[in-house]
Amino acid sequence: MEPLAASGFLTGFASEAVELDDFDAVVRLHWPAVFRFALASVRDSDAAETLTQDCFLHAWRGRGRFRGESTVKTWIMRIAVNLVRDHSRNRRLQFWKRTTAQALDIQTAGERLADEQISSEARILREERIRAVWHVSASLPEQQRTAFLLRFVEDMELLEIAAAMGLKEGTVKVHLFRAVQTLRERLGGAQ
Amino acid sequence: MSEHLSSREISEWATGTRSQEAENHLHKCAECREELTLLHGTLSDFRDSLRSWSTAEGVPPRLVWLRESPHRTHRVRWALVAMAMMMLVAIPVYRAREQRRLMDTSAEDAVLLEQIDANVSRTVPATMEPLTRLVSWSSTNPAATTKSLTKR
Repeated sequence: MEPLAASGFLTGFASEAVELDDFDAVVRLHWPAVFRFALASVRDSDAAETLTQDCFLHAWRGRGRFRGESTVKTWIMRIAVNLVRDHSRNRRLQFWKRTTAQALDIQTAGERLADEQISSEARILREERIRAVWHVSASLPEQQRTAFLLRFVEDMELLEIAAAMGLKEGTVKVHLFRAVQTLRERLGGAQ
Repeated sequence: MSEHLSSREISEWATGTRSQEAENHLHKCAECREELTLLHGTLSDFRDSLRSWSTAEGVPPRLVWLRESPHRTHRVRWALVAMAMMMLVAIPVYRAREQRRLMDTSAEDAVLLEQIDANVSRTVPATMEPLTRLVSWSSTNPAATTKSLTKR
């Protein structure tokens, strides 16, 4: 059986060796991942941009405290996770988060696929499944969603996710398992 | 193992927890393999759509503040030092000027007071002063002066 284990499904990328001294390079390399994570979490591009900038500002100010115990990416994602969590706990913003999650993003999310040569029917089914994942990720509890996004969007390893979230590996596994179970239940009709 | 992987086993496999038993089953069972492949495809599509969206929405990193912040801090420090130096120089100069101004004012006041005293102490009005030069003004007594003028 080739596809799942050998195709790169659920295998993490090798972490990039970037010197923290060259902070411009660190920002260029990790900005997209941080922005993506923030965008998927808060569903608001302006807020995501602000969070991403805050993340790198915190990293810049705290770079002296980085001891190299994790990769730079894990360290930066940990800052991002904390900022997104603080942002999400702001009750005033919860309203906007819910509004934008329902209105803009999910409607268009499925239309953001690469233009591949597939039939209209297959394309519609595929877009429905993507929207379902968006809905599920929006409705997941905060820690499940964070683990889910770091694993399936950022391709981070369980240990890296644990370090980024400040949790034990076993706890991350539980969050991921619950997130995937919820997703599969929701996709049941679509599949 | 039962006929197919349980829902739990499929979710565990998807999250990376893989038993040898499940792997053996997947080698033989096309149906379970298809379910996992579909899940894999859906998650990949979700990732691609998110990446595409974030690329479209994303702005390039704004590094200006990161690069400039140490220089800006230095500039602010230098500005504060320059300001302090200017104040150290300006305060004594201001004080000296103020002191000089006070001294000038008091000198002018003294001259004015002298003039006032001189005017107040006149024995005859200023318009009659030429007359006093025509007569001997041995006494300051106006009556005596009148007498001497009469005798002449």
